[in-house]
Amino acid sequence: MADPNKVYPTGLTSAEAEELHGHVINGTRIFGAAAVFAHFLAYALTPWLH
Amino acid sequence: MADVDGQAGIWLVVPPKVGLPLFLGTVTLIALLVHAAILNHTTWFSAYWEGGKHKAAMSTTTVPPTAALAPAAPSNPTK
Repeated sequence: MADPNKVYPTGLTSAEAEELHGHVINGTRIFGAAAVFAHFLAYALTPWLH
Repeated sequence: MADVDGQAGIWLVVPPKVGLPLFLGTVTLIALLVHAAILNHTTWFSAYWEGGKHKAAMSTTTVPPTAALAPAAPSNPTK
């Protein structure tokens, strides 16, 4: 990325893309944590995998 | 979060207006498919959503709990 102010065809700069991707990663981590918790409850409280 | 491996560059190629609904929609679709598959292949999942019937659905034995646990009727020692 030679020019940090370059606007790419999607309308974003490199810095904006990194900021957006940070939100995507953070949301994925929160979703993953909720999913792990939900699977723990499902295993503990239902016949799933027993 | 620092983008150390360049994966944020996807948003320089894929417009967020396309990529984000595609990503979130795929996650939603897979979640719905998994839940539908569980719902259609088990008895306890539908019973759980039905409410109040999960104990009956989860029980695989037909022995009534009262019959299995009740002691034999004591004989009357006075007679």
